[in-house]
Amino acid sequence: MAKGGEFMKRFDATSLRRTILDMAYSGATVHIGCAFSIVEILAVLYRNHLRFDPADLESMTRDYMVLSKGHGVMAQYACLRELGVLSADDIGQYFGDGTRLKGLADVHVPGVEATTGSLGHGLSVAAGLALAARLRQSKQRAFALVGDGELNEGSIWEAVMFAAQFKLDNIVILVDENGFQAMGTTDEVMSLGSIQRKFEAFDCEVLSVDGHDELALDEALTRLLGNADGRPKVLVAKTVKGKGVSFMENDNAWHYTRLKSDTYAAALAELGGEKV
Amino acid sequence: MRNAFSDALMAAAKSDPRVLLLTGDHGYALFDAFRRECPAQYINCGIAEQNMVGVAAGLARGGFFPVVYGLAAFVPVRVMEQIKIDICYENLPVVLIGDGAGFVYSHLGNSHQSMEDIACARSLPALQVLSPGDRYEMSACMELAFRLRQPVYLRMGKSDRGDVHGGPVRLESGEMLCVRKATAGRALLATGSMLRTAIELIDEGLDAEIWSVPSIKPLNLETLQSIAQRHHSVFVLEEHSVLGGLGSCVSEVFASIPGAARVHRIGVEDRFSTYCGTYDYLLREHGLDGASIAQRIADPDMRKA
Repeated sequence: MAKGGEFMKRFDATSLRRTILDMAYSGATVHIGCAFSIVEILAVLYRNHLRFDPADLESMTRDYMVLSKGHGVMAQYACLRELGVLSADDIGQYFGDGTRLKGLADVHVPGVEATTGSLGHGLSVAAGLALAARLRQSKQRAFALVGDGELNEGSIWEAVMFAAQFKLDNIVILVDENGFQAMGTTDEVMSLGSIQRKFEAFDCEVLSVDGHDELALDEALTRLLGNADGRPKVLVAKTVKGKGVSFMENDNAWHYTRLKSDTYAAALAELGGEKV
Repeated sequence: MRNAFSDALMAAAKSDPRVLLLTGDHGYALFDAFRRECPAQYINCGIAEQNMVGVAAGLARGGFFPVVYGLAAFVPVRVMEQIKIDICYENLPVVLIGDGAGFVYSHLGNSHQSMEDIACARSLPALQVLSPGDRYEMSACMELAFRLRQPVYLRMGKSDRGDVHGGPVRLESGEMLCVRKATAGRALLATGSMLRTAIELIDEGLDAEIWSVPSIKPLNLETLQSIAQRHHSVFVLEEHSVLGGLGSCVSEVFASIPGAARVHRIGVEDRFSTYCGTYDYLLREHGLDGASIAQRIADPDMRKA
């Protein structure tokens, strides 16, 4: 457990969720549930797997983190705040007039690799980044975090075919399988059946884990990254939309609902226990 | 003209290994030499244009200079949003080639004909739009496109209509090339395949100044102002819709020039092709053959029934 304690020190999930909550409240924004579901995935990536220098985010040796589900961007902002890339003002003045952080991932923000939010774009860009690394004989990897709703987009499957065809085993596709998309559950709207089997059918190596179990995520990523067999890597993370705040969990209203003073206070109380 | 394109592409790829050719499974025969001589720089992305443009963006961000090749109906039109968000917003050095623009695929029907690509492309910030009219302009456009290191759309239309220039030309962004001088009166501004048509009209006795417009965006405003003020009528010729193409560009600029010439947009009216037929047949169907254009210039206010 000593290892576990050390492991959890940086990018504490509760602390990240609190940053998201603060941003969402100060900016009166939506997409809270969408950000909460990917907190542990990003925490594990930033803490243990992404190789980059926060002081040199454009380095040609960095790993790429492409948030293809750009509407979860507050979770990435929270990580970038943790790294010191974003300031307290960036968080506190979220959505203020003339500020730089938008409600969807934007390439002009330091640490953000692609402009997404229009779904189905990021994975192709990540495939291009992975191919560029391959052509330069660089050891860089490209991580792309996609939503399960985003898998409706045909371009996602174009990108998966491409990654398999070009044997991009330096790309890792992380699927946030929270079971919801904008207007309902994924099964109600556009059922994909088994996401794992879909990606396997496209010749990817796929593992599925609990997307809120950081040790499981870490182990799965280590395993996938260690197997350079030519197959693109996919980690299906089964998650809970709105994870971390009881009244938001699995309530799709928190795709769209804005915090008010009472819901903010109630959510903060649930996230306040481990305040650093 | 197609040889000029593939020669320029090959020369660029040979001189810089960062130049990559991406194709959406198009370019049969056109890329034979490229595939033979630069195999590592040839990437067939399959019939998946959206992904191809996103991949190009990633490659550019990763240090490469991708050239994305497709038919104009698909690149840029089918993938406008990827071009806008993945490439233009980041101002990435990607050259997009739209081949077969206009009525080139006359027998295949409207899916493969492209009358709206200029209108689409020129609305995107950061994207320069080039449209060469002969092989010398093609070479100059390719040279410029690689020199710019920013997003470029290069429109390649009917390519076998013959030369206009007597030898190599050099092109800067926005530059218009005067091909036939006239003192005053009428000017013809033509782009792509219509440049050759304009020259043929002169050869048949029409008295007009002729400007080639290989750079549709940006446009050189000083040159346009001079044209607007020296002539009473300017005819814009393009194998593209009159909505949003070069004719629209010129009209927009002239609208704010005091005493500017009248602009007559000669292009494809706002409709699809009705029938199948040769390229020349379709030009006639749309009133873009030499005789129809001559008639229109002689009587600018006449409208086709």
